Amino acid sequence: MKMIWLIAAREYAENVKTKGFWIGILLFPMILIAVFFFQTMLAESAPTRHYILIDQSGQYAPAVEAAIRQEHQRRILQEFVAYVIEHRKEANPEQTVANADAQIDQLIDDVDAGEVAALDQWLDSGGLNFALTLATPYLREDAPPFVEPREQFIQAPLPESVDANAAPEEIIEQMRPWLSGGRQLRVGGEDSDLFALILIPAQVNSSILRPSATPLGMNQSAAGIQYWARNLTDVRLPNAIERSINSTIRNNEFAARGVDADIVREVQRTRLPVSRLDPSAEQGQEAVSVADQFRQWAPVGFVYLIFVSLMQSVQYLLSNTIEEKSNRIIEVLLASVTPLELMMGKLLGIGMSGITTIIAWLLSFLAFIVFYPGNQAEVLGQFLDVLLSSDLIPYFVFYYLAGYALYAGIFLAIGSLCNTLKEAQSLMMPMIMILMLPLATMTYIAQDPNGPVARVMSWIPLFTPFTMMNRAAAEPPLLDVIGTTLVLLLSIALVLWLSGKIFRQGVLRTGQPPRLVEIARMLRQRH
Amino acid sequence: MQDNVLELTRVSKRYGAFTAVDDISFAIPRGAIYGFLGPNGAGKTTTIRMILDILRPDSGSINILGETSALNVRQRIGYLPEEKGLYKKMKVWAIISYFATLKGMDKHIAKARAFELLETYGLKDYAEAKVESLSKGMGQKVQVLSAVAHRPELVILDEPFSGLDPVNQEVLEQLINDMAAAGQTVIFSTHIMQHAERLCDRMLLIAKGRKIFDGTIVEARAIIPRRVILECQGDIAPILQMDGIIGASEKNIESTHADGTRHWELQIQEQANPQLILQRCFENGIPLTRFDYTQPSLHDVFVHLVGNDAKEHHFR
Repeated sequence: MKMIWLIAAREYAENVKTKGFWIGILLFPMILIAVFFFQTMLAESAPTRHYILIDQSGQYAPAVEAAIRQEHQRRILQEFVAYVIEHRKEANPEQTVANADAQIDQLIDDVDAGEVAALDQWLDSGGLNFALTLATPYLREDAPPFVEPREQFIQAPLPESVDANAAPEEIIEQMRPWLSGGRQLRVGGEDSDLFALILIPAQVNSSILRPSATPLGMNQSAAGIQYWARNLTDVRLPNAIERSINSTIRNNEFAARGVDADIVREVQRTRLPVSRLDPSAEQGQEAVSVADQFRQWAPVGFVYLIFVSLMQSVQYLLSNTIEEKSNRIIEVLLASVTPLELMMGKLLGIGMSGITTIIAWLLSFLAFIVFYPGNQAEVLGQFLDVLLSSDLIPYFVFYYLAGYALYAGIFLAIGSLCNTLKEAQSLMMPMIMILMLPLATMTYIAQDPNGPVARVMSWIPLFTPFTMMNRAAAEPPLLDVIGTTLVLLLSIALVLWLSGKIFRQGVLRTGQPPRLVEIARMLRQRH
Repeated sequence: MQDNVLELTRVSKRYGAFTAVDDISFAIPRGAIYGFLGPNGAGKTTTIRMILDILRPDSGSINILGETSALNVRQRIGYLPEEKGLYKKMKVWAIISYFATLKGMDKHIAKARAFELLETYGLKDYAEAKVESLSKGMGQKVQVLSAVAHRPELVILDEPFSGLDPVNQEVLEQLINDMAAAGQTVIFSTHIMQHAERLCDRMLLIAKGRKIFDGTIVEARAIIPRRVILECQGDIAPILQMDGIIGASEKNIESTHADGTRHWELQIQEQANPQLILQRCFENGIPLTRFDYTQPSLHDVFVHLVGNDAKEHHFR
């Protein structure tokens, strides 16, 4: 036992000294900080985007402008609610930023063109100040004042050289330098990129699709309103325009057919809410909150964590064993300790460094939540509460250790059979493929945690740690929990026993990796 | 019964059809410096691995320090394998101390011992260096030190001299002698006979897995007769009739000197007196230009005993 500790201590100390270990430890918090930092930065400093609107039809410019106002209002309200939630006195776990966001989205989507103007007017005349006054008693005293976000989409004038009444093809041809970023617009004395060109041709009404009409040919991609932009990822603007213009067209259509637009609006806003309830929750708490959703999805994160940490540890074990083999340190070691002690020492040492990495990740996650300002961190904080209150952590600890013991045993045996990493790679391939499977089915199993795929995979020991972790939040049947645990523990014992045998003989082997027949012979040998 | 630290009785090891070690028996008394000689591929390393119970013999028995398996007494054994290697990233003192602690030495004592050894054997300045920064020879010295730091009763060194420059070979010889003086038993394998000649009390010679010779250096030399080398002009027929001369051969026939000097090698019996041969030469008026009475070197014995096998193996 003392020998195992000595070996484990050395493996641990040496592993901790490697660059890879520190990269592994630092990578996670760095990604975490980067993601949130950039998100906040992007949200706060979203660049002003200039667009040009050419409305040759003379009918739809107000609708486009309303759409853009609406986007701005949405942002103001979202930020306001986020601000209130962030600085409120008492935290209500159900009322999260994410929940509020969804409600605001609903509210804004219900607003139609006429009301956009009204909301605008309300905001302009100090509506927010009024709301702020109402909210103030519920805010903490040290809350900073609310800062309204800037307008993001600003209309720019058409360059003078371009004729707004030319044929659409001609306009696009003339605008190409700006559209491709080759030339810059001159707006308010500053140069700026053109973000989007919205071109509404004079004959746009002839492109309106009606259920009765034959659909246009697929190749007429430029039919209707043309939205030209190099940025294909920011779809807020085209979506908002499409919504707004369609609503205008429909209103026109209602009028043309003699339907009262007010009635239509009333009808459109009629809705029946769908409450999402969780049967496993206590009475009165059935409402599915964000925290519940997180509880459902947290296991996926843990599966991923197990996977990443396992890959790291197991690769290190493998290369480390091969190093000892290739420079024959193994022989000195075996003259001092038994192969089993050596193997266990390695398992323990590398296992400890794996746990160190995970603890470091969790600690940095905690530190991040405590020290990072802003409401995203608060969301994370709620997630943490969920984690600590659920039994996911003990599941995670158990399945991490079990998965590690299982795979480390296998990879140690592989390492002991090879003299170079190159040789090891061919033997490793099937194992890596097997390891990929739980990762590939991770999302699917989270959605159907007690379905046949999940249940079958749980009973295959190589997948048990991943799949059962995956299902941990869904209260799998007791039979599955106890049964798979027993099978898993038995398999670990078997794998360690067998790989001990292979290891003992493998470490002293030289030359080519053995064929399967030879491995089988190794397993049969008594010594 | 003699106090033997190691006894092998009819030990064999086969790898498939190839017999690496074939029915070897020998015993090593306590406190001896024991040479383990043999050409490449003779089975030295396999034998050593079996002694250490890293490999298990197919037949025969091994008794080491009173146990049937070296694993039971591994803390009392020091071992340097044939192929040398150390953890590249570790510091020199740390690696010596690590291997000593694996042999059961206390951590702090092991560290002190590491520094003591490094100082004694001229590596003091490298104690804090990483192993990867050492030259091959230095690394090997470090490895020898790490094998013996825990003051084992039985030290087994597989090819300890290979790769060392003459100065460091002497340092290593010193180390081996120091250990013997401290009552430790040292077994080392080599194919450089000079070391065996200078160091060993006893030696074992194996070739093709078989034991060829086991005994003291004196006994080994006795295997080939003593020789008298003569160079003279003319015939030496009168001498060849003498008692005690077993055989004679003329060497370098094709390169006989221009002046007619011929080179003879006489094999004589153990108890024969070379003085008498010299006297007979004078009596017969043989004009000697050289008279050389030599003991056969271990090298000669080695070549004599395994020469053909070794060559055959070498070019196989």
